[in-house]
Amino acid sequence: MEQIAQQIINWLALSSIYALLAIGFSLLFGVINVIQFSHGDVALTAPFIAMAVFASLGALLPGADLVVALIVAIFVVGVLGIVLERFLIRRFRTAPPMMALVATVALGIVLRELIRILYPDGSNPHPFPQLVPGSALSFGDVSLSWLVVAMMAVTGLLVAVLTWFLYRTGLGLRIRAVSQDIEMARMLAINPNLVFRVTFFVASVTGAVAGLFYASYVGLMRFDLGIIAGLLGFSAAVIGGLGNMAGAIIGSVVLAALDTLVQAVFPDGAAYRLVVAFVLVVLVLVFRPAGLLGRTVVEKV
Amino acid sequence: MKADGAPATKTFSTLRAGTVVIGSSLAVAAFLWAFITADSTIAVVALLVLLAAFFFGLERYPQAEAVVVRSFAEARVTAAIVWLVIVLGFPFLFGQNTYFLHLLVMCLIYSVLAIALNFQLGSANIPNFATGATYGIGAYCSALLALEFGWSFWATLPFAALAATLFGFIIGLPSMRTRDAYLALVTIACGVIIHQLLNNFEWTGGPQGLIGIPAPTLFGYSFASPLPVFGYTLPFQANFYYLALALLALSIVVANRLHQSRIGLAWNALRADEIAARAVGINVVWYKVLAFAVDAFLAAFAGVVYAFYISYIAPDNFTFLVSVTLMTMVIVGGMDNVIGVILGAFLLTLLPEKLRAFSDYRLLFYGLVVIAFLMIRPQGLLPQRLRSYGA
Repeated sequence: MEQIAQQIINWLALSSIYALLAIGFSLLFGVINVIQFSHGDVALTAPFIAMAVFASLGALLPGADLVVALIVAIFVVGVLGIVLERFLIRRFRTAPPMMALVATVALGIVLRELIRILYPDGSNPHPFPQLVPGSALSFGDVSLSWLVVAMMAVTGLLVAVLTWFLYRTGLGLRIRAVSQDIEMARMLAINPNLVFRVTFFVASVTGAVAGLFYASYVGLMRFDLGIIAGLLGFSAAVIGGLGNMAGAIIGSVVLAALDTLVQAVFPDGAAYRLVVAFVLVVLVLVFRPAGLLGRTVVEKV
Repeated sequence: MKADGAPATKTFSTLRAGTVVIGSSLAVAAFLWAFITADSTIAVVALLVLLAAFFFGLERYPQAEAVVVRSFAEARVTAAIVWLVIVLGFPFLFGQNTYFLHLLVMCLIYSVLAIALNFQLGSANIPNFATGATYGIGAYCSALLALEFGWSFWATLPFAALAATLFGFIIGLPSMRTRDAYLALVTIACGVIIHQLLNNFEWTGGPQGLIGIPAPTLFGYSFASPLPVFGYTLPFQANFYYLALALLALSIVVANRLHQSRIGLAWNALRADEIAARAVGINVVWYKVLAFAVDAFLAAFAGVVYAFYISYIAPDNFTFLVSVTLMTMVIVGGMDNVIGVILGAFLLTLLPEKLRAFSDYRLLFYGLVVIAFLMIRPQGLLPQRLRSYGA
């Protein structure tokens, strides 16, 4: 019983991390039609930036809060997204999809290596603080930490804000217009470049929050966590159906459930979690290529 | 006049073609020799500048390339003899230096892998991030057969290729329903799954891998013993040099035959426009799956040679990054151009070794090179040549 309760808590925590990453993938694909394979790496730069800012803030004004560092990190990652879009990804928007793919995979390598080289002793894992210490509830051995509560609350809040932003604001309307038909949007005097910038900022910020949660949840940050985070986030988005926010969330919940289940049921399940996750991805892609919630697009000549 | 003039021009042009062939071949060989033996960073950088200048010149004066290509077409026999002498004699240039020979063997193995990947990435433009995995399956399959059942190198070769080809078919099957980024995700997933399984299973030796793979033997002659040639003894790496060379020659022949056949044409049609290809009656699914299978087949051969050469394999030799490296080689060299792909493989195998001082920045360098090439010169150093029929 206690085991099950603990696993459910793990499941919820993982779901929210995956969901935040998957939403970013989905949003980017929906708008710019490019799979940003390095999104996970962009997201996982956030913990490193946060710790670097925290360290230098501590020297400048003692007693500075970790919160300031986190906000700075999230903002910096958002700007990083805009920069990458402007100088790299935009060029591949109209190129064959394979080129964009290889380019963003290479970009992921560059980001990981830059972290490893630029961050002091970057090759080794570093501890990352628990952002919200303590536990909210505990029954016997089971404890629901404030971190998990905060993660779920923030995820819910972000999803609500994003939904409001996409469906209730003018900018959101423009984003949806560009994602539907860029030519038509252009004729209606919508500046697609502005939309790309905003989308990349929003997606990177969401990713950064996920990255911070991820590092805090596992208690450490490593330069190559981004590849796994990116693959799992992208898998979740694909399972749910790319370009669809509800799909991204459902895909994350399914993937996280499977992930927790494998780790809980099999003795050395942790070693096989990626295998199981990817087998699911392959199966979904083969039998339902548009994802659980996606609509099949029939290509017209 | 004309009747007299024609033979004269013919001999002149044959002579000229022969000179061009011999000159350019020797230049390439000399460059490779200089690159492998370069021992300072400055020398390496100078050679790279030379190479860049060469490609810049080629871009400026396309006629020069046309002359070389025509010369090779005209003086085919001379070219064959010259290259035979060069590739067979190359190990003698390094004397007893085993490190240089080792570099050459690795270059050859990576060339085979890059040619394998080129069938998909270059010819058909299918992203495949699982070549590292098929390479690993070939290596592991042969190593397990040799270690567990005592099979010889030659006996394991077809079985390893068969196993990898089957795997290629399996990862190729999703290509029926998925495309582009989704297909890329499937191949990445398969690559990661294979790496994780090799890492986790007991019988693959786990993260430590397999140790002590016996060297191949041929008619009682062990490949681990030095190679005596006309009273001159080459280090044992020379055996594997010739073995890998034979494999590369086979790959080149296969690649050329496929390129010139209907299969190569069908792949190119797929790349240009899948819907149009389907409309003219090309079985799109079959050709896609075939591209995966051919890639897996050749990659497995390379894996077997690698396993028996190094005699020790571990899961980390066959990661996702190996696939990315191979992809870099194909993109840098030139998609769907066999010579370009081999050039890419040689360059990217030798460069990290030569720039040891910057070994920490190796991956960063790979990533930047790929991005730079995709942005500035997406067709690679040697772009695909137009097919020419007749004449």
